[in-house]
Amino acid sequence: MSLHTTLRRTAASTPKTPTTFICTQCRHATLLRRPKRPYTFTQLITLSDGSTFTHRTTSPLPIYRSTRDTRNSILWNPSSSKLRNVEEDEAGRLAAFRARFGRGWDANTPVEAGAGGDDKAKKDAEAAAVAAAAAEEEDDNLLDLISSFGQEEVTEKKKK
Amino acid sequence: MAATESSRYLARSLPRAIAPSARAQGLCWRRHASDQASTKPSSALSGLETEGSLNRTAAPEAAKSFDPAARSRLRKIQLPRSRYQFRSPKYDRGPLHPHQPPHPSDPSSRLFVPGPFSLPRVEQTYESTIASDILTLCYVHNPPGFKPPVKAPRLRSWDDSSPYHKNRSLRGPRGGDVLRLLRKPITFNNIPRLERITIHSYVKNAALENSSWIHVAGMAVQAISNVRVQTYKSKTSVATWGISPGRDTVALKAELRGENMEHFFGKLIDVVMPRIKDWPGVKGTSGDSSGNITFGLGPEHVALFPEIEVNYDMYPPKMIPGCHITIHTTATTDKDARLLLSAMGIPFYGKLVD
Repeated sequence: MSLHTTLRRTAASTPKTPTTFICTQCRHATLLRRPKRPYTFTQLITLSDGSTFTHRTTSPLPIYRSTRDTRNSILWNPSSSKLRNVEEDEAGRLAAFRARFGRGWDANTPVEAGAGGDDKAKKDAEAAAVAAAAAEEEDDNLLDLISSFGQEEVTEKKKK
Repeated sequence: MAATESSRYLARSLPRAIAPSARAQGLCWRRHASDQASTKPSSALSGLETEGSLNRTAAPEAAKSFDPAARSRLRKIQLPRSRYQFRSPKYDRGPLHPHQPPHPSDPSSRLFVPGPFSLPRVEQTYESTIASDILTLCYVHNPPGFKPPVKAPRLRSWDDSSPYHKNRSLRGPRGGDVLRLLRKPITFNNIPRLERITIHSYVKNAALENSSWIHVAGMAVQAISNVRVQTYKSKTSVATWGISPGRDTVALKAELRGENMEHFFGKLIDVVMPRIKDWPGVKGTSGDSSGNITFGLGPEHVALFPEIEVNYDMYPPKMIPGCHITIHTTATTDKDARLLLSAMGIPFYGKLVD
């Protein structure tokens, strides 16, 4: 719209000194910039379970030891019971509370409370026994489920 | 000779009926190149026509004296190193210029980026396990003789109820104007993989206060990504922050490809994501429905990157930016992209929208 009006105005008022829109194609030279790349070092990352891998990074540290990674976080290991029971107790408040009032207030009492880690073999054996018992229980539960599956339906139907 | 004669003279000589020149010659302000050239009798033009360039032979003396091998043999000491080296032109002067810069993949090019120098862990994992797993998961068995049902064409044709429908271009799909990407069945040669990662950060304080915010943000993003960032000016105006389009440089972007991308991705998943406190994962509804997944990291999460942590004091703590990370995959649907990313270790939560 504006273009049209300008053209008309120039044509009407000043035919002697017209202003035209000069659209000449021009191609300037473009500078070929050298790509800038930050300096990178090779870093060895040690995960919390001891596995390592190298990567290139801008950090000059040769070895990075991580304390928290995919190997010990619950989000990546949802089935790990060891990780699930870990309590966030950074300030030591829970420990202080327990020292004062005991563990009677815990919501889910752990299997071995306050063992201290003196006898590893005993603990391991206990843990194994607990695990075996749990597995057996689970097996039983599953068998119960399987055996009772059809019957429950039948009884429900009978009730109805 | 008609070519040497001026068109002005020609027009004058012709009768008025044939060549109507409304404007007087004195008022003719347009300059024609043909006019200018033809006013003076040009001997150069006539010379061009009589004698082609193919017939021309070089001067015999010059041809005899040109013997570069002999000249180099006569030389006592070598020329300086740069004389034996091809140097790319500094400027690209367009496709018609005789001196063309070499292709960027040529090591003598100014745009050449060497590499890759390492085989990243993510790449190895992908090649060894993830690719074949995805191929297995996405396998659809069709019995022999199976013919897939014929789908309606994506672009609908016009019913010829009106004569104006003739030669019209096809109509778009029903319900919307957007043509979604086609999902082809996944075979060995189109297994989804990472294509590139874009780290984007919008630093509003760069417009509110001063440019130091964007400098710090650029350094932080460069440190975590190994890639020089690009800055962008605002396209929209935000009245509450006093941002006007085209004036304020408010955003920056780093685009990672290849080796840098793999290293960044591995670092993000193995080191940074587990350290984010109370983080449920990436939201299941994210994604642009064509295979690109975006999620955001806050400033306190960006500070968890080992590169920033190692000299945390370098960055003013307030100025560490948050960023959006877009993972572009070659998958054409979000479902495939999510399958790939969850296989690589990104957790998703909530309702998964595919």
